[in-house]
Amino acid sequence: MKDAREKMLKEIQALEFMEIELNLYLNTHPYDQQAFMIFRNTVQQRKMLRDNYERMYGPLTACSSNSFPWPWIESPWPWEA
Amino acid sequence: MWVYEKKLQYPVKIKNCNPRLAKYIITQYGGPDGELAASLRYLSQRYSMPTEVAKATLNDIGTEELVPICYQ
Repeated sequence: MKDAREKMLKEIQALEFMEIELNLYLNTHPYDQQAFMIFRNTVQQRKMLRDNYERMYGPLTACSSNSFPWPWIESPWPWEA
Repeated sequence: MWVYEKKLQYPVKIKNCNPRLAKYIITQYGGPDGELAASLRYLSQRYSMPTEVAKATLNDIGTEELVPICYQ
């Protein structure tokens, strides 16, 4: 259970890393269409994965807390894992 | 603006407790040549940039330098 969570989180982390790097690259290469397509795909994949993760393991941001009672306060926090 | 995410940007596994190393790492973040200071420099410099590319890039790397605060 914990391993599955960590594995999924790692995939999200990898996608977000790609997103940040492509973001910076596109700042200086705004006409690179191929890079733009990769960026769009990455964002889409990341959104899907994050939605699944949040459904299974709880909210990643306070504003995505959509169950009751307020799930944001539940452990683990990143420094406790 | 600050939005907290309940996860790290990069996976970290701490195997043993090492206060000396911890002190060194916290200096990398908050010390005089640390990322916090770099972040504020980038975010101030972006105001006087003449081009779109420079403004956006300083904005985004200034944001990025703040990430280590989430490792605490």
